[in-house]
Amino acid sequence: MADAVETPKLDRKDFVSDQEVRWCPGCGDYAILAQMQRVLPELGIPREKLVFVSGIGCSSRFPYYMNTYGLHTIHGRAATVATGLKVANPDLHVWIVTGDGDALSIGGNHLLHVLRRNVNVNILLFNNRIYGLTKGQYSPTSPTGKVTKSSPMGSVEQDLNAISVALASEATFVARTVDRQTKHLAEILKRASEHQGTSFVEIYQNCNIFNDGTWSFATEADVKDDNTLLLEHGQPMIFGKEKDKGIRLNGLAPEVVTLGDGVSEEDLLKHDETLDNPAHAYLLSRLMYPDFPVPLGVFRNVQRPVYEEQVVAQNEKAVEERGEGNLHALLHAADTWIVPEGPDGETVREVSEEEPSLSDIIPDISQEDQLAPRTSLQHFMYDPISSLDLPTPHSIPAQTSLSEAIKLMRDENAGCLLVVNKKQRLVGIFAQGDLFEKVAGSDIDLQNTTVAEMMTKDPTVLKASDPIGHILHLMSLQGYRHIPIVDPDGRPISLASFKVMLQFTGGLFAEPSVN
Amino acid sequence: MADTPAEQPAESALQELMEVESIAIRFAGDSGDGSQLIGGEFANTSAIVGNDISTMPDFPAEIRAPAGTLPGVSGFQVRISSEDIFTPGDEPQVLVAMNPAALKTNVNDLPEGGIVIANTDNFTRNNLRKAGYEESPLEDNSLSNYRVVKVPLTTLHKEAVAHVEGLTNRQIDMMKNMFALGLSYWIFDRPLDPTIRMLEKKFGSKPNIVDGNVSTMKAGYNFGETVEEFQVRYHIKKAVVAPGTYRAITGNQAAALGLVTAAQKAGKTLFYGSYPITPASALLETLAALKNFNVRTFQAEDEISAMGSTIGAAFGGAFAATGTSGPGIALKSEAMNLALMMELPIVICNVQRGGPSTGMPTKAEQSDLLQCMYGRNGDSPMAIVAPATPSDCFDMAVEAFRIAIATMSPVIFLSDGYLANSSEPWRIPNPDDIPAIETNHPTDPETYQPYNRDPQTLARPWALPGTPGLEHRLGGLGKEDGTGNVSYDPDDNQHMANIRAERIARIADRIPLQTVMGPKTGDLLVLGWGGTYGAIRSAVKRAQQKGQKVAATHLRYLNPFPKNLGDILQRYKQVLVPELNMGQLSLLLNGKFPKHVISYPKVQGLPFKISEISDKIDDILGA
Ligand code: SF4
Repeated sequence: MADAVETPKLDRKDFVSDQEVRWCPGCGDYAILAQMQRVLPELGIPREKLVFVSGIGCSSRFPYYMNTYGLHTIHGRAATVATGLKVANPDLHVWIVTGDGDALSIGGNHLLHVLRRNVNVNILLFNNRIYGLTKGQYSPTSPTGKVTKSSPMGSVEQDLNAISVALASEATFVARTVDRQTKHLAEILKRASEHQGTSFVEIYQNCNIFNDGTWSFATEADVKDDNTLLLEHGQPMIFGKEKDKGIRLNGLAPEVVTLGDGVSEEDLLKHDETLDNPAHAYLLSRLMYPDFPVPLGVFRNVQRPVYEEQVVAQNEKAVEERGEGNLHALLHAADTWIVPEGPDGETVREVSEEEPSLSDIIPDISQEDQLAPRTSLQHFMYDPISSLDLPTPHSIPAQTSLSEAIKLMRDENAGCLLVVNKKQRLVGIFAQGDLFEKVAGSDIDLQNTTVAEMMTKDPTVLKASDPIGHILHLMSLQGYRHIPIVDPDGRPISLASFKVMLQFTGGLFAEPSVN
Repeated sequence: MADTPAEQPAESALQELMEVESIAIRFAGDSGDGSQLIGGEFANTSAIVGNDISTMPDFPAEIRAPAGTLPGVSGFQVRISSEDIFTPGDEPQVLVAMNPAALKTNVNDLPEGGIVIANTDNFTRNNLRKAGYEESPLEDNSLSNYRVVKVPLTTLHKEAVAHVEGLTNRQIDMMKNMFALGLSYWIFDRPLDPTIRMLEKKFGSKPNIVDGNVSTMKAGYNFGETVEEFQVRYHIKKAVVAPGTYRAITGNQAAALGLVTAAQKAGKTLFYGSYPITPASALLETLAALKNFNVRTFQAEDEISAMGSTIGAAFGGAFAATGTSGPGIALKSEAMNLALMMELPIVICNVQRGGPSTGMPTKAEQSDLLQCMYGRNGDSPMAIVAPATPSDCFDMAVEAFRIAIATMSPVIFLSDGYLANSSEPWRIPNPDDIPAIETNHPTDPETYQPYNRDPQTLARPWALPGTPGLEHRLGGLGKEDGTGNVSYDPDDNQHMANIRAERIARIADRIPLQTVMGPKTGDLLVLGWGGTYGAIRSAVKRAQQKGQKVAATHLRYLNPFPKNLGDILQRYKQVLVPELNMGQLSLLLNGKFPKHVISYPKVQGLPFKISEISDKIDDILGA
């Protein structure tokens, strides 16, 4: 074994483990395994740097058959294990082998996140549109209507398109190939390995036991050229046994056209796998049999920073900025005090610069000092009501008669009056609304009825120290038109009216800084 | 600062200075009132004057509850003592209530005769209504069992800072808690100097901020001296504390530092994969800030991913850890078992909270013990360590890694929300005195087999990917020992189950023997684990002072138990096991040892009070 490692040139046999392969005879998995073992020697990666990680399912036996490092994990979780491995050891070349149930059902969440993070791993999704290991239940890629043991009357579920899912998850390399097209498969494996970032490869794989022929439209010699479209970067999309058909865009909708008859190659959609915008790749992913040929090849191949490299770069940056971590300093990074030997020594306190215990006795204050002028929104989030220039309210004693109150409102053009008791504490509010609702049209004796009888009792009030936002909040939520501002003893100091607040907010939006 | 009042302890004739051993104060108010901050500073000053301290925060039940409402109240309790203390303590003797809601939620915890300091400026009709008071409790005699001191704190504070220029209203508002701090310093006879020095150091470049804070703190102090309502103030003598450098530390801080220290002592990367969850998130946050220690944090998409990532990281050669709480452990359990089958060293921190289901996330319980012991499919023995105090979280986190590496297996670090957030003084260890953690990675293909075991520890070798010639496959399927090849052979399976159990059992050979506080034999042994340490120890001490033949012992190793535990149990007529669950450790003990232990369960989301355990001891001993 050791000799093989020291020999720089490896061959297929170096990657064959001593484990007996236990897939059903005729299973598409064999072809994929064979291509992998054939391609790896060409990549020039030392065998000990390779790790195959899988979940659960037929395909997930794959690592046992590869004479590399390998982890056969649990259902759906290969991506999580591979991510931890790459963060701990970014030098390794990690392949994830998964299936349609493993990756898109139980492991759907992890697939989404490994792709968006762009961990530098290669994901091979063996899609056979069935649960094979558990003997034939429908999977998330089984077509609607599929009759299986768990769907005897046909599946009523919408199936997932693996390529579309990968693109929606911000994958940077997305490709599709077929178990039986060995040259194409080998080419795609190589390209996946070369890509920096997550490579996602869907492999149409035949399960000859539980779902035989599910991809025959794409594999049988007589039909495959008419039903598949080989994607080539920079080339127009031509397909068909006679190479006479193509894909053209009609507005935003793709259509199949026949070349000749006024349709030339120029009119066809050209493939560009490097487009930053995934719309083109997504459009291709929606080309589905039988209405369209299914594309095979690389849908998308773009560059984005690799997750684990960025993690390590932050380690390096932190060391650059703060120096190599020092445990002694770390344990002391707080306010400390030294208890001296002997009973009479004086305890000494060391205030930490780094990690203030009172860190934020005044967190907002120290922040505030550094902050650029606040945005207008922050103004009413934080600033106290006292910073507004609110009018002094009209206060009247509770025994004031209604007629006097109404006269005052008219004379002063006041929308409302605040009713106070002998100690000048607010007991109610009498507003125009009360006038309309309770007084107008009734036969109330305006001279002999007090305002206390008609007012709204115990109105909602605010303190001068409350944030301005509270006024707006109450007005918008509760529909209040007036909110008295009172001192700690409940005596009115000012009045926030709808009108004044409108003026205030209007002022905010006049500021150019608001966006 | 020659005019600091504390330097001229003028004792007014009206006020007596009462010498006490131990006393607790609780600060309570809206989140914005800074109870945690002044509580922390009060604790710091107390530590500096030589008292032992212990603190416990009480977080609001709702993060963004409106100001003035009951769910919005947050609190912070500090116990100070002239003796070694183990718990923030039972009832506080003094309550500082910044508003009616704070009074309402806390006043029932005060003993009769306790002091209530209320900020009357906040007892407005509106606030009273929000707290559900019809009448002001300060006026209606309902607090006649307490000594109520009414302080127009906001008003006095504003007067105190009126001379300071350039302060915004908001700054002034935020400083008002310093008045309460000053007043508390007066009641408990603490100096102002340490806080003044701290303020000068922290805000030296902003003299008006220092001036404002100091002025209002002094005003609070002087207020205590001048008003007649205080008939008593307290003096707490210095505790006898071992010399050394100290800091205050919470359990979560200590655990995070322990994990980093372990990795550093092995010269390894620390990988921490975690999904945010209360009360464990502080571990992730603390570690994420320590990237210059080669700490790599991974905020996973879910709990399962967090656990899965540690498996990959451990396989890759990092010191791998994850942290969560009970609901997260439930989600992780399948992957935890994979780690167990692959025999990879991983530390799994469970900061327990109130359960079941979402339960009470901000409250502490010890009810995940059986989940950690047995909550996985198959027979899957896993080592469990449990810190006893906030600072012990440091030692036990290091210990968890030490065991994980030595046995090549996952280890559960079982903390709880109470330990996680409480703080105590910690004599900072010299990291050079902490023994290195040896790791061994084989490189010789001739002798290598993935499951070749160390005959002593039964640990398999930790071969790292990247090592030429050691290519091997690990998986969750049943396997043959030695080669690790997949095997469903009946004998192989029995053998591997035996090995997995034996590997954990043999940890007992390496951990310290269990010790007992108190008489070696006696009428009663009070046995605890985890965050109940302080309450149990204090209660047992009291019982011993009364002459009862009671001892205490506290388990820090829950699986396996220390070797001599069975013998210890036999030496006492009865064994009492107080636990913040429905009797989980009791069940384990009763299942394993002939001695029948008495369970004392409690699941109220609150720690044990010393008095509760004392009463129980009296009950059992017929005192
Ligand atoms: S069940 Fe299907 S997928 Fe699984 S090994 Fe057999 S043929 Fe292959």
